[in-house]
Amino acid sequence: MNKKTYSIPIGPVHPSLKEPMTFNFEIYGERIEKVNLAPGDNHRGIEFMGRQRNPIQIIYLAERICGICSAAHPFAFCQAVENAAGIEVPERAQYIRVIIAELERIHSHILWAGVAAHELGFDSVLYLSWRAREEVLDLLEYLTGNRINYGIFMIGGVRRDISEEQLPRIRETLEYYKDIYGKIEDIFLNDPTIAFRTKNVGVLTKEDALHLCAVGPTTRASGIKKDVRQDQPYSAYADLNVEAITPDVFSGEVNGDVYDRIIVRLLELVQSIQIIEQCLDNMPSGEIIAEKKLVKLLNQLKKAKGEGVGRVEAPRGECIHYVKLNESELPEVWKARAPTYNNLMTWVPMLIDQQIADIPIVIASIDPCIACMDRVTILNKNNGQKSMLTKKDLHELSVQKTRRITP
Amino acid sequence: MKLNKYFERSLWVFHLNTGSCNGCDIEIVAGLTPRYDLERFGIKLVGSPKHADVLLVTGPVTSKMLDRVKRVYEQTPDPKAVIVVGACGTSGGVFYNSYNISGSVDKVIPVDVYVPGCPPRPEAIINGVLQAWIKLENLRESMKTAQAK
Amino acid sequence: MEYMTPEKIVELFKEKFNGSIINSKIEIKTAGLKKNNYSLIWIEIEVKDFKEAVNLLCTIQFPHFSIISDNDIGEEIKLTYHFSLYYGEKSQEISLNLATSLPKNNLKILSITDLIPGAQISEREIKEMLGVTIEGLPDLSNIFLPKDFPKDVYPLRKDETGAVKMVNKEEEVKKVE
Repeated sequence: MNKKTYSIPIGPVHPSLKEPMTFNFEIYGERIEKVNLAPGDNHRGIEFMGRQRNPIQIIYLAERICGICSAAHPFAFCQAVENAAGIEVPERAQYIRVIIAELERIHSHILWAGVAAHELGFDSVLYLSWRAREEVLDLLEYLTGNRINYGIFMIGGVRRDISEEQLPRIRETLEYYKDIYGKIEDIFLNDPTIAFRTKNVGVLTKEDALHLCAVGPTTRASGIKKDVRQDQPYSAYADLNVEAITPDVFSGEVNGDVYDRIIVRLLELVQSIQIIEQCLDNMPSGEIIAEKKLVKLLNQLKKAKGEGVGRVEAPRGECIHYVKLNESELPEVWKARAPTYNNLMTWVPMLIDQQIADIPIVIASIDPCIACMDRVTILNKNNGQKSMLTKKDLHELSVQKTRRITP
Repeated sequence: MKLNKYFERSLWVFHLNTGSCNGCDIEIVAGLTPRYDLERFGIKLVGSPKHADVLLVTGPVTSKMLDRVKRVYEQTPDPKAVIVVGACGTSGGVFYNSYNISGSVDKVIPVDVYVPGCPPRPEAIINGVLQAWIKLENLRESMKTAQAK
Repeated sequence: MEYMTPEKIVELFKEKFNGSIINSKIEIKTAGLKKNNYSLIWIEIEVKDFKEAVNLLCTIQFPHFSIISDNDIGEEIKLTYHFSLYYGEKSQEISLNLATSLPKNNLKILSITDLIPGAQISEREIKEMLGVTIEGLPDLSNIFLPKDFPKDVYPLRKDETGAVKMVNKEEEVKKVE
C-alpha cells in the first residue's frame, strides 16, 4: 500500500508563549503521524537584555516576559534576588504577594476556559467567561493600579499595601466568583458535547508527564501531585494548606486527557478563592517592604554576592528564575524559565494519532493561547500542489466536529 | 466628528503578533468581549490578512517575524491602515537593546496610528481603531474622486 | 522509596564521587509567618563524573528537571542543572543544583536526554546560545535563534563571540513602501 503523508505547517504567529510556535504535522488521512516543534519566532533575547540592566530594571522586563503571567515572573525573580542577597521579606508583603498571584490565577484560568470553549465552537461561553474575567481585572486594577503588568513587585516586598477599606471590595469579588462558579462547572463538566470532544482526546500518560518533566495543571491532570505551592511552599503559602489538585478528586479517575485538564483548572479556581480568603483573614500587620529607598536597595544589591533560585507556581506551572550577583551593578547571570518551556514537549505524545480537528483543543489544553493557527499550508508532496488553510478553516473543522457528535 | 459618516460598512481587522508579550493581545480580545464589545460597531477580527481592512500589530519585530510582517502587509488589500498597539511596537519599549529584535514596527512597514501604553486599555485600542477608520474613509473618498477624474 | 535528608544526599554524592566534588553546601530557607523551612543543595562536580552524578540522582527518585543555567566566567563556562527531588508531598521537596565547569577550549558535555527526555529543549538552548557541544543529543536544529543567525555568535557569552555587536542593526532593515 502506498502510504502518503501530508505535511501541514502551522504557525508561527502565536501570542501567548514566550516563544510563539511553528508546528509541522505529518498527516496520514485525518490522523497525525508526526509532530515537529519549531519555537523561536518570539525570541526577544530577554536574558541577554537583562544581563545589561540592574536588578530593579529587570523586574519590569521580567513582567513583560508574558502579559498573562505578569505576577509570576516578577515574583520568582524577586525571590531569586532576595535569596541571592539575603534579604528578608516582611510577612505582610508575603501575604500581599500571594493574594496578587492567586488573583492572577483566577484571571488566567477563566481566560483559558474561554479560549478552550472558543476552540470547541462555543463562542457564547467565550464571551460569557471573558465577561466574568473582567471582574477580577477590575479588582487587580483597584489593588495595583493596572489591569495587566501590575508593577506591584519590588525586591524585598511589594510597592502597594492593601488597606482596611479595600477588604470589602475584595470579598465582594470573591463572592461574585463563588456565585458563578456553579454555572461555569455546569457548562464545562456536565455538558455532553464538551465531554465528547475532550474525553480521551490528547492523552498524556503519567509516565510521559514524569519523563518530559511537565509542570502545572498539565502534569496534575495526568495524576502527578506536583505543585510548588505544596511541595516547597514559598512566601505565605508556607502558612496555608495548599494541596495539589488531581482530577480524581472530582471524577474518581485519572485519564490525563483534555477533560481532566479542564477539571484541574476549574477546581483550582475554587482553591484560589479559598487561599485568598485565608490570606485576608490571617494577614499580619507591619511593613510591606524591607528597604523603601530604592537607591539604598540598589547599593545593597551592588555589594551583594551569591546565587539564588526563585520558584513560583504560575497559573501554567512551575516558573523558575536563577540569579547570580557578584558585587557589581549588573547581575552576573539571570536565567528565567516559563512553565510552557517544559510543557512544549508534551504536545508530541498528546497529538500523535489525533485528528486534525482536534489540534486546536489539544494545543489549547496545556494553556498557551492558540491564535497561532494563522496560516496553515497543506502541501501535497506528490504534485506539489498547495492549498491554504487559514486559522478560520481549522477552527471551522473543529466546530464541525462538535456539531457532528452533538446528540 | 460626525461618527455616522464612518459607520457605512463593517471594518475587518487582522491581528498580527510580531513578538509581543501577550499583554496587548489579551487586551485586544478583551476589547471584543462583552464589557467593551467592539463588535457592536461591526468591527471584527478576521483569520486572514486578505480579508482585512486594518492590520493591528503588537510587539517589537523579532528577526524571525521580520519577513512575515512584510508579507502580511503586502497581502492586505488596499486601501489599508496599520495600527500599532503598545509601547514596544511603537518604539521598542523595554526591548530596546536586543540582538534578535529589528526594532519598532514603523521601521518595517508604514504605520498610520500608534496606541501607546504597556499595555493600552481596551478603550484606547478602540479609539485607535476608530482613528484608523477615519483615515480609511478619507482614503476611500480620495480614491473615488481620483477615479471619477 | 526511602526519604533521604539533604545531608544524606550530599554524603551519598561525596561517597560515590569523592575526588571530583569541588564543593557542596546545603542552604535552608524559611517562609511565611510560621517560618517553615525548605532546603536547597548546591553541588559542584567535575565534568568527567557529571553524567554519572545525574545517573545517581535518578536512582534516588526520577528527578524533576527544571532548566540549565549558564555562566560565562572568562576561561570557563559554568553550567548549573536545576533539579528537584521528592515532589508530590507536602513540604518535602528538595532542590538540587548540580553545577559543572567546562573549559572554553573543550566545550563538551554528555547529553542527559537518555536519562531525562524532558531536558532536550534546555540542552538545545545551551548548544545554540553558548556553543557547547552536547554529545549524544539527537536533534540539532536551532530552537530559538533564526536559521540565518551568524554561526560564530553565541548570545549568552560574554567574550568576543557575544551578541553585543548584533544590537541595534536596524539600519539593515528594509522598509516596505
